[in-house]
Amino acid sequence: MDHKKKLSSAGKMGLLFSLPAVIYMLVFVGYPTISNFILSFKNVDVFNFARSADQQFVGIANYRELFSDPNSVMLKSVGNTLLFTVCSIFFQFIIGFILALLFSKRFPASSFFRGASMISWLLPVTVAGLLFKFIFASSGGIANQMLMSLHLIKKPVDWLLNGNTAMVAIIVANIWIGIPFNMMLLITGLTTVPADIYESAKIDGAGKLQTLFYITIPVIKPAIMSVLTLGFVYTFKVFDLVWVMTKGGPINATELVSTYAYKLSFEEFEFSKGAASANILFLILFIVGLFYIRLINQEEEVM
Amino acid sequence: MKYEKRDRVLSFIAGLIIFIILMFPLYWMIVTALKTQVEIFEVPTPLWPRKLTLKPFLDQFAESSTTLQGFKNSFIISVSSALIATILAIPAAYGLARFQFHSKKLLILFFLMTQMLPSTLILTPLYIMFSKAKLLNSFIAPILADATLGIPFSVIILRTYFLSVPKELDEAARIDGCSPMQSFFRVMMPLAKPGVIVAAVFSFVYAWGDLIYGITFITDPNKRPITSNIYNYVQQYQTIWNSTMAFGIIAIFPVVLIFIFMQKYIVSGLTNGAVKA
Repeated sequence: MDHKKKLSSAGKMGLLFSLPAVIYMLVFVGYPTISNFILSFKNVDVFNFARSADQQFVGIANYRELFSDPNSVMLKSVGNTLLFTVCSIFFQFIIGFILALLFSKRFPASSFFRGASMISWLLPVTVAGLLFKFIFASSGGIANQMLMSLHLIKKPVDWLLNGNTAMVAIIVANIWIGIPFNMMLLITGLTTVPADIYESAKIDGAGKLQTLFYITIPVIKPAIMSVLTLGFVYTFKVFDLVWVMTKGGPINATELVSTYAYKLSFEEFEFSKGAASANILFLILFIVGLFYIRLINQEEEVM
Repeated sequence: MKYEKRDRVLSFIAGLIIFIILMFPLYWMIVTALKTQVEIFEVPTPLWPRKLTLKPFLDQFAESSTTLQGFKNSFIISVSSALIATILAIPAAYGLARFQFHSKKLLILFFLMTQMLPSTLILTPLYIMFSKAKLLNSFIAPILADATLGIPFSVIILRTYFLSVPKELDEAARIDGCSPMQSFFRVMMPLAKPGVIVAAVFSFVYAWGDLIYGITFITDPNKRPITSNIYNYVQQYQTIWNSTMAFGIIAIFPVVLIFIFMQKYIVSGLTNGAVKA
């Protein structure tokens, strides 16, 4: 009896402590999320923005319009976002993994190199984007100069002015930003591998590659899955980098769902259509997010 | 033994090469800021400045420039939003770490989900909300919005810190006659101090790096945060790269300082915040 009472009062305390933050997030994230959902089924634009009497529900008209156009920018931006995300993650992960294997070893200046390379992840993305815009500039850009001195290209490439090369440029920039994130999480994962497993593998005559594929990777699989799903979520919603480097151009070649939603709302002032395309972004992230949450739950149960 | 030594030397060389490649863009930013425009467009452009110039930096500090104003605006916005985020996150993390109640798991999931939401999703409704409340073009709008980036991260990271403090300490304080509030402030808070620093630092960095809220909620050039300032600067002065890079260096200055002096905290924040959750 006493015990039960104690529990419920403890529960109340816990709830009370968390309430301010929960309410704040409900007001400034929860409510906008729901209201974005509702907005996407209305016809709000710059003309009836201030007069709610003129705003009507139009069902799925916004979604239908976004997707039905034969040259649908919406479809293109979903494809672009997938391409951008998959390429970014693929390289970030591979490079991050190799660096994690290297920097988890002990050698002179190892922790200094590892620490210093974190900076790219911390920089304001706006500045990183401008930096890469300059690196890939047609004239004066160092990317062209380096590739030409290596004889990989014959004349300067207009990186940001051609669709395909612009996509390459934003992916390269995003990889640079994301490497430290992958590396650090994988290093943390690697520290969980007990040293004696490696020793017994060595005694059993396992080679380096065998050890990597049959011991290291299976043991740190939870860390790998976290890195990949979190990486997907964070990359899929990238906005600043692309907005600064290409603004989605040239001619929508690097248009992502995020930049398209922004343009619809704040350049064309089609608020409801902007809301609808942001919802598409949300839907895809939501599915991946659920996957991630199931993943952590499994991990917690194991622990 | 000899084999091991060779291995270490090879690892060092590989590490050094990777370090140079990863750091090159930053080196290039600094070098460009110290070059003249003529040198920047020379073919091939020199890899270090032959004629060192400080003019790009001096231009940014000139009276007509809005760079310092933007820096100040960003500072006000980021510090305020980090304060809100940390003050709200500390009790929430404590509540979610120390007490058992049936909606606890749901609340943790709620914070995890909000951390993953794209800013674009809530941007339009927030814009409408702030416009109705007449908060556009005031610092309050980006401060309130930026805090939503810091809160979920801070709750998650601080919870792991509170979980790592032995429960017995809390209980001992209660037996000695402390109220839950007193034991929270006198026992838990000092022990979770590193976590509080991580939470505050990350909330500050998130807010400092924000572009989307800044460009959407503030159009008054005198009130823009520095990220929005530099974005507009480039739109205007397309290819004056030395000044743009000098501007960029000023814009990353606080983050670099934080990075140098708090690296230990940042590494722990990055790994605890993402993997453990």
